[in-house]
Amino acid sequence: MTPLSTELSQIVGARHVLERPTELLVYENDGLPGYRKRPRIAVFPGTRDEAIAVVRALHAARVPYVPRGAGTGLSGGALADDIVLIGLQRMRRIITVDPDARTATVEPGVVNVNLTKAATPFGLHYAPDPSSQSACTIGGNVAENAGGPHCLKYGVTLNHVVAATVVLPGGDVVSLARPAAERTGYDLMGAYVGSEGCFGVTLDVTVRLTPNPEGIRTMLADFTSVDDAARATSAIIAAGILPAALELMDQATIECVESSIYAAGYPRDAAAVLLIEVDGALAGLDDDVRDIERICRECGAREMRIASDAADRARLWQGRKKAFGAMGRVASHLAVQDAVVPRTRLAPILARIAEIGARHRIHVCNVFHAGDGNLHPNVPYHGDDPDESARVHAAMREIMELCVAEGGTITGEHGVGLDKLRYMESLFPGDSLDAMCRLRDAFDPERRANPGKVVPSHRCREWLAAPGAHA
Amino acid sequence: MTLRPATAVELADIVRDAHDRHAKLRIAAANTWPERSRLVASDAATLDLSALSGITEYVPGDLTLTARASTTIAEIDAATAAHGQWCPLLPWGGDAGTIGATFSTATHGPCSASLGAPRDLAIGLEFVDGTGALVRAGGRVVKNVAGFDLTRLLVGSWGTLGAITQVSVRLRARPAVDETWSIAISRDARARLDALRRGPLAPLAAEESDGRVLIRLGGNAAFVAASRAAVKALGPAEPCDAGEWTRLRAADPHPRAPLTASALSDALSQRVKKQFDPRHILNPGIMGEGVS
Repeated sequence: MTPLSTELSQIVGARHVLERPTELLVYENDGLPGYRKRPRIAVFPGTRDEAIAVVRALHAARVPYVPRGAGTGLSGGALADDIVLIGLQRMRRIITVDPDARTATVEPGVVNVNLTKAATPFGLHYAPDPSSQSACTIGGNVAENAGGPHCLKYGVTLNHVVAATVVLPGGDVVSLARPAAERTGYDLMGAYVGSEGCFGVTLDVTVRLTPNPEGIRTMLADFTSVDDAARATSAIIAAGILPAALELMDQATIECVESSIYAAGYPRDAAAVLLIEVDGALAGLDDDVRDIERICRECGAREMRIASDAADRARLWQGRKKAFGAMGRVASHLAVQDAVVPRTRLAPILARIAEIGARHRIHVCNVFHAGDGNLHPNVPYHGDDPDESARVHAAMREIMELCVAEGGTITGEHGVGLDKLRYMESLFPGDSLDAMCRLRDAFDPERRANPGKVVPSHRCREWLAAPGAHA
Repeated sequence: MTLRPATAVELADIVRDAHDRHAKLRIAAANTWPERSRLVASDAATLDLSALSGITEYVPGDLTLTARASTTIAEIDAATAAHGQWCPLLPWGGDAGTIGATFSTATHGPCSASLGAPRDLAIGLEFVDGTGALVRAGGRVVKNVAGFDLTRLLVGSWGTLGAITQVSVRLRARPAVDETWSIAISRDARARLDALRRGPLAPLAAEESDGRVLIRLGGNAAFVAASRAAVKALGPAEPCDAGEWTRLRAADPHPRAPLTASALSDALSQRVKKQFDPRHILNPGIMGEGVS
């Protein structure tokens, strides 16, 4: 035991502090294979007071740390490289559900889907639905500004967070709230969402709950070319319809899903399918279905299928939500991309991605939020094969540069973390990166929370002059 | 004194110079807003952004638009209407106001609850901070988590962290059917109006005016028909011109609520301010923080 682990044990209890390498093994990864960093110590506070005491102890000892939810992130953001990892999954109380105000206040370790379960008796749900929703936590969702298929209509985490209590890296506890319409003040809550654990540790979050829609219609449209599916996506949105979700899966993804235990009955010979869902008031809903069907057929859809009941709908969705997992059958590693491009550029960009993939002899599986233009060209590969790994990384860089050149961004919902740090300078000029560092400095002047993530540190004007915070 | 930069780069030069001289600046665009309760230090020079105007990028298929700060709401409305779209901000204060001011102040409008407020609709912006750095935040795509969210920080900061030079917003398709009704509403119908607003047939907007409630319905024909029937059940209803909303918005200029205390009293807000405007030269006093 080191003096620090002894002190942390006194706060949370010895069994909630890990420091043996074998115990720390599972905390070396997050949801993205390919990065391994071992924390020096992992500490698991069980209450708000314990979390505050842990952060204050680390502040006093000048030790940097990484907050972590369920570790399902896809950017390497929750990895702690020989520093302290603060695991928040023991803080999983749903503090209140207020059906009149349509809000809930929860601790950060509450699993996304459990919040919806708690809201279900009131006819409400928590709208942001990342594919990992059965495992990921609300605290992690806030840190990453997580998205999900239904964010097309309902908005991302940012649009659903109302307030939070946060312990800043310096140990102060602050209440953040998104300013109401006529209240003046900085939107520090909005700035905190998506800060990837660099601005503090979340103690509780108040989120908006959404009324369950009166009706839901889920459709599967089957195309013989990816280009047609991409054109149909643009045409649906251009027609003024705002689907709850509009997802595209290409043949490589369909093959992965249909060969796995998550088989959803997608047509294996389709070049692409669109999974389209509309919801809302029953009045007018079937008119939207009719319009979408017509547009898909005009764009070349071979077949349209409407889910017959809730079980059928769940099956169609399972294939989509478990697609990343299904790719795990193909190879030991998976490179995950998360670029967003202007929707009208989808078709040409997908063609270019196919060309890049063929040239580097890699297996690109496209599964993504087409309605938002949020691509996930994922590549299963064998990480122990240096030649294949090099080809994957070269292709990934080309794909990212293509998306940026087309007016897109490098990440739409997974965060920068470690994995996309190297692309930040191609996206933002130096003054913009420096401004981001300054915002971080307002929350964490000593740069102790999740150091080395999100913004390349050499871009921060005064970064190198900072106190070298290492235990 | 009035300074009128022609470009964002010129603006950055002016602010950098003011920063070096500790000179205060009052940011202005169309000057449509009364300053009651929002006084800027009287010794501030006026920084007139009216030359930074015009839509710089609009791809209707992407439902996104980028415009310089002093582009008026009216100009954006006309450009998007031509493609059956709109920027659904429709802020209080009317159409002569600018997009930059709307986002700087996070001004809502009658449709904000249903179609989104500035904090929801901004996808990126460019600003010059209090040191003269020209900063680009966010981007032009509808989903973006690359880096820390400077866009959210600037929206609603009343120019005290930076002068916004350009804004990118997400647009929406105009509803296929868009109609407005004025209803006289009895006390007991009020609860039913609240229920309607929280239910699946919710209107785009509902505002009280002169003892009546102005209701805006939008959606496809079948939806609006059902919604209209629910509205008519509330009380005697008369159809109105959509222009009624423009009049209502113009009659209710921003700011709606006076500022009674400093909005920058907490330590974290003060640290943010110090990072972006260390010499307190941008709109000093406008957040009620007291002019030093």
